[in-house]
Amino acid sequence: MFELRSLKSKIGLQIILLLLTIPYALPLVQMILGSLGGTGFLNYKAVWDTGVVPTYFRNSLIISASVILLVYLFSMTAGFGFAKLHIFGKEVFFWLILVALTLPEVILLSPLFVTFQKLHMFNTHLAVILPIAALQLPFTILLARNFDEGIPSELMEAARIDGANTWLIFRYIILPLTKPIASSIIVLTLINSWNSYLMPLLFLQSPDMQTVTLLPQFFQGEFTNDQTKILAAAVITAIPEVIVYICMQKNFEKGMSAGALK
Amino acid sequence: MSIESCKKNKITRQSGLPWILPAFVFVAGLIYYSIFYTLNLSTLDWNGLDPVQTRVGMSNYAHALGDPVFWKALKNTAVFFVVTFAVQNLLGFVFAAILHTEVKFATLHKCLVFIPTILAPATMAPVFRLLFSPQGLLQDIFDTLHLGITVDWLSKPTSALIVLMVITIWEFTGMSFILYYAAMSQIDKEMLEAAHLDGAGNIRTMASIVWPNCMGTTISLAMLGVIGALKTFDIPYLITVGGPNHATEFLGTYIYRQGIRQSHLGYAAAISMILLVLAICGAILTNKANKVEGQ
Repeated sequence: MFELRSLKSKIGLQIILLLLTIPYALPLVQMILGSLGGTGFLNYKAVWDTGVVPTYFRNSLIISASVILLVYLFSMTAGFGFAKLHIFGKEVFFWLILVALTLPEVILLSPLFVTFQKLHMFNTHLAVILPIAALQLPFTILLARNFDEGIPSELMEAARIDGANTWLIFRYIILPLTKPIASSIIVLTLINSWNSYLMPLLFLQSPDMQTVTLLPQFFQGEFTNDQTKILAAAVITAIPEVIVYICMQKNFEKGMSAGALK
Repeated sequence: MSIESCKKNKITRQSGLPWILPAFVFVAGLIYYSIFYTLNLSTLDWNGLDPVQTRVGMSNYAHALGDPVFWKALKNTAVFFVVTFAVQNLLGFVFAAILHTEVKFATLHKCLVFIPTILAPATMAPVFRLLFSPQGLLQDIFDTLHLGITVDWLSKPTSALIVLMVITIWEFTGMSFILYYAAMSQIDKEMLEAAHLDGAGNIRTMASIVWPNCMGTTISLAMLGVIGALKTFDIPYLITVGGPNHATEFLGTYIYRQGIRQSHLGYAAAISMILLVLAICGAILTNKANKVEGQ
């Protein structure tokens, strides 16, 4: 973007970039330094020895995987239906879903709190999976529909002449061609469900059901004033996320920017 | 058979309703059930457990309009949106422009700016509480430089709000950056070269060519920003719990405080309904701006 002719300006830009990035690295440095304070690496051992870390990861995995599955199935089928099939009153259905795009999740608090209590769904993973998926879907359905509309209808007509029904068209034309948007949807849903805090905070009360975002609180109870161990727990939680990001950098960046695709 | 008749055939043969119905029932069911439930709840005086529900009409709404903490939360949301939106987009834009130029260690810088967006605020909260405390790294740095500044910002009302904004900017710059980065890839290189040949400097090219070409992205980010600011919950709840003395209260944290902590379910529902109306208005307004820009 910038046109730099002299060596001096190249070095200057490099220094500006460095100065701008340092504040972004600072909290990460604090996290690692803090976790090594006091007893050093023994902090990690102490955290691991409580034995709860794998349980919290397992719960987060169960919840994220279920949310992703629900969101994937519903956004693929609905995206296809909205983009390519004839449905009476289609835009009304679509609008009713789109309104939910703006819905702040705190609005669900009281209704779900009361309803889940009545249905004895408190402290179950389902109580977290259902609202997270429902809040994610309006956006992913919008993404899928926009993407599906770009697929030429001639492809489907050719398949239909060859005798394919709607299911076969979906299975053998739409699904393979929508892989790019599907991967964006999966990454986006993964980040949002893995990082979700409010729903687990509200609905998961026993430690054997809770997710990694509640881990710091658990350790605050466990190690009251020992910040170093709480930070060691934070590092343990963050590392898998960072590794997954670095391995799938392109997918993450595409997934996060999917919202700007028109 | 012509393509036309084939198309007609496809459309009339069967309805696509079964393809959208499961998703529609799931989303609309859960969400509209919640909205109407909240609407009903907002006319009650109820603690969620008591078998007696007293219907109080609009008085919860009236109460909200006279509640200084509600207005404080609203004002915080507005300030929060304006500041974080301006700063994080400016930074995102600058990062995108620099990383589109040939620089060393581009991937490393890109990762450092982007990693905050994928880490959960809940995971980072203890880190920030330490970083902005007198025991943190910032204090060490200030002490080494002999600046004589004490980092106790989270305990003071004004600075606590600023710290929350800094944390939010830290978290979301990566998002603005990625969107601007994608938008800048679409700009015609020849246009930039022509500008440079005509003697336009770097700043001039940025202001007259690159920035206007990224306008669509800025508006998309504004929409995400408005809704995001109204949804703000994790960061203030985890770092300052809305304090000190409601200085960092947001609608989200206030609804949680009233509804779940203090069991004023009706009052929390009334604020939720106001929040919903604000979110829809915000979305409509930014959508309008988007359409004007598109013409």
